[in-house]
Amino acid sequence: MAEIGGGGCCPPMDLMRSEPMQLVQVIVPMESAHLTVSYLGDLGLVQFKDLNSEKSPFQRTYAAQIKRCGEMARKLRFFKDQMSKAGVSPKEFLGKDVDIDLDDVEVKLGELEAELSEINANNDKLQRSYNELMEYKLVLEKAGEFFASAHRSATAQQSETESQQVVGEDALEAPLLQEEKSVDPTKQVKLGFLTGLVPREKSMVFERILFRATRGNIFIRQSVIEESVVDPNSGEKAEKNVFVVFYSGERAKSKILKICEAFGANRYPFSEELSKQAQMMTEVTGRLAELKTTISAGLDHRKILLETIGDKFEQWNLKVRKEKAIYHTLNMLSLDVTKKCLVGEGWSPVFAATEIQKALQRAAVDSNSQVGSIFQVLRTKEMPPTFFRTNKFTTAFQEIVDAYGVAKYQEANPTVFTIVTFPFLFAVMFGDWGHGICLLLATMYLVLNERKLSNQKLGDIMEMAFGGRYVILMMSLFSIYTGLIYNEFFSVPFPLFAPSAYECRDASCSEATTIGLIKTRDTYPFGVDPVWHGTRSELPFLNSLKMKMSILLGVAQMNLGIIMSFCNAKFFKSAVNIWFQFVPQMIFLNCLFGYLSALIIIKWCTGSQADLYHVMIYMFLSPMEDLGENQLFPHQKTVQLTFLFLALISVPWMLLPKPFILKKQHEARHQGQSYAQLEETDESLQVETNGGAHGHEEFEFSEIFVHQLIHTIEFVLGAVSNTASYLRLWALSLAHSELSSVFYEKVLLMALSFNNILILIVGLLVFIFATVGVLLVMETLSAFLHALRLHWVEYQNKFYEGDGYKFDPFTFTLLGNEDE
Amino acid sequence: MGFLVTTLIFVAVGIIASLCVTICCNRGPSTNLLHLTLIISATVCCWMMWAIVYLAQMKPLIVPILNEGE
Repeated sequence: MAEIGGGGCCPPMDLMRSEPMQLVQVIVPMESAHLTVSYLGDLGLVQFKDLNSEKSPFQRTYAAQIKRCGEMARKLRFFKDQMSKAGVSPKEFLGKDVDIDLDDVEVKLGELEAELSEINANNDKLQRSYNELMEYKLVLEKAGEFFASAHRSATAQQSETESQQVVGEDALEAPLLQEEKSVDPTKQVKLGFLTGLVPREKSMVFERILFRATRGNIFIRQSVIEESVVDPNSGEKAEKNVFVVFYSGERAKSKILKICEAFGANRYPFSEELSKQAQMMTEVTGRLAELKTTISAGLDHRKILLETIGDKFEQWNLKVRKEKAIYHTLNMLSLDVTKKCLVGEGWSPVFAATEIQKALQRAAVDSNSQVGSIFQVLRTKEMPPTFFRTNKFTTAFQEIVDAYGVAKYQEANPTVFTIVTFPFLFAVMFGDWGHGICLLLATMYLVLNERKLSNQKLGDIMEMAFGGRYVILMMSLFSIYTGLIYNEFFSVPFPLFAPSAYECRDASCSEATTIGLIKTRDTYPFGVDPVWHGTRSELPFLNSLKMKMSILLGVAQMNLGIIMSFCNAKFFKSAVNIWFQFVPQMIFLNCLFGYLSALIIIKWCTGSQADLYHVMIYMFLSPMEDLGENQLFPHQKTVQLTFLFLALISVPWMLLPKPFILKKQHEARHQGQSYAQLEETDESLQVETNGGAHGHEEFEFSEIFVHQLIHTIEFVLGAVSNTASYLRLWALSLAHSELSSVFYEKVLLMALSFNNILILIVGLLVFIFATVGVLLVMETLSAFLHALRLHWVEYQNKFYEGDGYKFDPFTFTLLGNEDE
Repeated sequence: MGFLVTTLIFVAVGIIASLCVTICCNRGPSTNLLHLTLIISATVCCWMMWAIVYLAQMKPLIVPILNEGE
């Protein structure tokens, strides 16, 4: 357990510092190990350390069990695949965890897998036969046509030759002879033929190769099939042609067969006689019908099987995942063979100690073990993980801060103030209460439907927006406030709180456009006076206002950051950090930029015309010079000289003493005294129970000095650059109001000026789309990003170290969301 | 005097909000302190913004010059 200095500067506050964590050791007997880990997983408050990290995954105790779980997971994945292909969706499992035995599940899964594979294989076979028969049917049809047309032309030819030879031969016998010979008029050699299907894209090449291979001694006819045919081998649709090849001789036949095989052309038997063709046709049609019914019966059977699987799928899935996680965790415990028990170490919050002990007892009882488990707290110097207990509201803010770096154990958490300052700075850049209301409506939808939406699977962007719904809610509330202050409702000002403070100088308002109005009534009580919008001097006024506001807000936030570093120093009881870091930093920042802020306020209060640029710059360049008309308050020169002097000495103040003091402390510690009562106590208080065992703390003076030098330079230069960086508050707010104003005037007002209802509707639509697309989406993201940057860099670099690691407990609650 | 009055109004609103939150969501002293901190920060931020804008308009150096045709 890392000892901390408690108390600090204020009473304990939720979320300010990490929960106190302790390293616990758990000794469990073998028989209750599984159940213990299961109950601890349900509790979700222990982060186990891997005590077997040197061992490879195969050497670990429970490797076999993990393999089993892996097999089962594979089978479940296979089922899921099959189910999605068949369009069956698994039933949602939201019920209680029914106690199912892992062995039963394993057996069941094995059976189901075998059955499903068998059905699939059968289906494939049947489907293949079906496709082949379909092709055969096509061949029968098309080849039948060839022969029919060949017969017709042959008979036509025969009747021609007949008419030519009618004089010299016997009229009765001649037709028979000629008919026989009509198939082969020139030779007496018997022709053979082959029929089949060839893919269309290969058909020309097929013909050519056949021609060349047989030296032109073949006759080939092809016929195109209009619809695409399902190829039996590949199962996909393909364009094919029916071909008939006539050849003579065995050698030609073998060549043709080989070429057909090479081209993937399927051959089917075909007979010349018409009667046999018709017979084959009816047979094939009959068999096709049979196969079709068989296949559909098979598919139905498969569907039923898949539905039964789907019922229990989620349950099994969860159980397998859970078991796998449990075995992974059990592998992290070290095995003590002699005492037949497992020893586990892990981090857990201090407040969870009683709950863990209860879980251990329950597990011992439930597993009927003779011996109970032992729970003890270990003392260690390791840095514990950081754990913040967040609720649904603060989680999003904590994640924003964690994205930059997880807080070191027990250092001050920036989230506490970020919850307010982040939406506030966003709103300063976004200020328009009309847009704020739109944003509020959008986020109220998310917040009011959060129960329903959290169970659904949303897309990536919606997921992010839903996760940040409370952040956006705060942003919109603050935006409405700043919108009222800037007095902008879709860029239109309204005198909501009082009439405007400005009026014409005289009754005729003759000089309104040249010299301007004057302030007659009291200052407009809440926000920017509505008269300003649209005037010629609007921008000089607003720019001056917003720039000064940015500086004031920036200096305030940076001071807050330095004060947080004071809280840290107080908490860790480090007087060095207080006197030689916090104090000079405060002096430096406030003597320069705090003074500037004070000058701004004084100038506003007195209405003086002093030029602040001039004042600040000449404070450095010629501090002894008289201020003349830039004087804002009496004795200003003396005050400035004092501040300049203080700022100058604060730089070596934060640079030099600290490394020397740290060196002295280190030497004092190394004298062997555990509790050396020095003026300045240790930097990080770690009570040493074993006196000289901090050998890992080597003290390199040069390193410490360089570190301090870097820190000092960063702070001094950063004071100027960070203050200037806050001017982005002005820049973005100006951009937003100008865009909003342009959309309003150039789109909506122009559409209104035409007095045409159609143009009005079109203009309104363009206005809505532009507002939503540019202002509500793009500007929101932009202001979000810049507010984030201001927090991460300008605010946090005053105090945040952020080099901790997050508490990652062993828990089952995340299993449901895993997508393996 | 408008400045002081409105500042007092902000302070009052802050105190009332803290009391409301302490009464209706009382979840232990450390949580209450967190809520109090949040409310105070929000009040201070809002007040600062209002005060800056108000002070800037109290004794103006620039006056509004209208556009022609208004």
